[in-house]
Amino acid sequence: MTPFQRYLVTKTAWYLLAFVLAVAANFYLPRLIPGNPVDALVARMAAGGGAEGEALRRIYQLYISEFGLDRPLWEQFLVYLGNLARGDLGTSFSVFPAKVSDLIWRALPWTIALQLPAILLGWLIGNALGALAAYRGGWFDRGAFVTSLFVSSIPYYCLAIMLLYGLAVALPLFPAGGGYSYGRLPTFTWSFVLDALRHYWLPFLSLVLIFIGGQAVGMRSMAIYELNADYVNYARGLGIPDRRIVTYIFRNAMLPQVTGLALSIGSLVGGALITEIVFGYPGIGTLLFSAIRQNDYPLIQGVTLLIVIGILLANYLVDIAYGFIDPRIRAVQAGER
Amino acid sequence: MQPLLNAQRICAAYRLENGDEVQAVDHVSLSVFPGEVLGVVGESGCGKSTLAAVLSLTARPPLMVKAGTLTLAGQQVTLAGKQPYPVTWRGRLVALLPQGAMNSLNPTLRVRDFAFDVLRAHDRQVDRRVALERARERLQQLSLPPRVLDAYPHQLSGGMKQRVVAVLSTLLNPRLLIADEPTSALDVSSQRALVNLLLELLEREIIASIIFISHDLPLLSNVADRIAVMYAGEIVELATTREIIRAPQHPYTRALLQATLVPERTIRGRRIEGIPGQPPDLRKRPPGCRFSPRCPHATDRCRRERPPLETIDGRAVACWWVFERERRVPSVEESVP
Repeated sequence: MTPFQRYLVTKTAWYLLAFVLAVAANFYLPRLIPGNPVDALVARMAAGGGAEGEALRRIYQLYISEFGLDRPLWEQFLVYLGNLARGDLGTSFSVFPAKVSDLIWRALPWTIALQLPAILLGWLIGNALGALAAYRGGWFDRGAFVTSLFVSSIPYYCLAIMLLYGLAVALPLFPAGGGYSYGRLPTFTWSFVLDALRHYWLPFLSLVLIFIGGQAVGMRSMAIYELNADYVNYARGLGIPDRRIVTYIFRNAMLPQVTGLALSIGSLVGGALITEIVFGYPGIGTLLFSAIRQNDYPLIQGVTLLIVIGILLANYLVDIAYGFIDPRIRAVQAGER
Repeated sequence: MQPLLNAQRICAAYRLENGDEVQAVDHVSLSVFPGEVLGVVGESGCGKSTLAAVLSLTARPPLMVKAGTLTLAGQQVTLAGKQPYPVTWRGRLVALLPQGAMNSLNPTLRVRDFAFDVLRAHDRQVDRRVALERARERLQQLSLPPRVLDAYPHQLSGGMKQRVVAVLSTLLNPRLLIADEPTSALDVSSQRALVNLLLELLEREIIASIIFISHDLPLLSNVADRIAVMYAGEIVELATTREIIRAPQHPYTRALLQATLVPERTIRGRRIEGIPGQPPDLRKRPPGCRFSPRCPHATDRCRRERPPLETIDGRAVACWWVFERERRVPSVEESVP
């Protein structure tokens, strides 16, 4: 086994361990929320006036054993693990009897279609802006830096609400919420796609803005640091043209930015929460939010599992990819130092 | 013989945040002849590295060249103003061997790729294979292992890195090499190896002359043909190495020699004396001779008037005390710097 393979195996083992721990936490944490999903279900029935007294108690018992909530926690955990191994995420309590995996599959495309382009675009613009600011200096740098710092340091929900108020209420350019107009059903027709696009811009813009801000601030300081590095001065002293030196600086300043990108993509699912709540956008965030409010254990577990997998996978890939970008890290990976 | 480099009245200053300027190099004139090693010595902060940056054409903000003319291999330029010389001078006519080669190489670039970049910067058409062959030959010629070409900078030892940087600096056969404290971070055996390498470069006529900047007078006396002594941004004495070591004139040169360990029999039993006081703050320099506050021979005239750099019997010195002793007191007109 080469040192690099050994490195790969140890890394993989660590990530697997992290995954197992995360799955356990994933299982126990929702169950620590006070209350019980069956209470909510049965209460809704009672409110409807369909059943009362003894009948209600029987229905309660039935649900409890149906969902396996009367068994000890460890037994429930084993059952959960067994189902998970078969790819079965269980049945939702709140949208009974819908499958959790179906609910997630229905919500996921909305989230990805909103977040992925926003992250990529924001990352590209942000890095270009930061590098340019570091390079140009002067008023351009000050302007870009202060704006980026401002945008990236307002809490995201504030920015989202400000945009919502400014561009949907005060100046009604965009619809104020939702992924499509009320009364429509998601279909693959032109009119629906156009309608969805109209609802798309505002949350998209909010995400791009906040991403540009964060990336530009980071890239600017990295690039300034690299610009003053000895190797830049030395390369200039040997007459190497500026455009070539810029590529040196870019590669070296890029490392933390690549991590940022990978982690944002990894946490895309969790990051959607506030956007989707503020803009009333359909997607994983909204799904998780309603699942938490209704103590829907299987659905919460399903969504958080997705988040965990995303983050772990992104971290894992970054760990490996670092070695390809920076030979010093590759040396550590290969056990040279 | 025509000098290879003739620098006249070079003034360079650092601009501070508040708009003030610190004059780090003040009316420095010197010449370097073909085949010669000119040493520049002085304590920390006396303007040695600033002079190196100006002469190697790598000065950049906040360092600004205020005045001075440079005649390099028969071509004359005025230094103040925006890029008065062709960029290709850097690396081809004059090259810098920087202080602290540890960080002078881009950490994410192999030595061979940097060597290629250096050669390509001066010949767009150069073929990669030809360029690498040339670098390999050069390394072999100087008895360095050609495998360093495949290494990343972090894979080389400090001494090796400094030697590789010396080879890269001279890859384009620059006429003048400006070595800025090239040995200061090295142990004695690596120092020896580097000095031998530089002398070999000179011997093989890969380079024509060296300006060797150092605070290490004993080392310099083994390498340099002539030595310029700098104090507070000015040259206070310039003479052959032999004269500087055997019969120093300027009180500062004497003090410097007193402060160094010389393991020669005649002076072995001597006590090492430090120089009392501190070098002057370059923002508020004494009006007269800058060394006068620390000088044991200072008179009222020294504190009032600046001594010019006068050539007496082929050696230049700037000191009223020396002038008086030599019974050759320059008139007031001549003494204007």
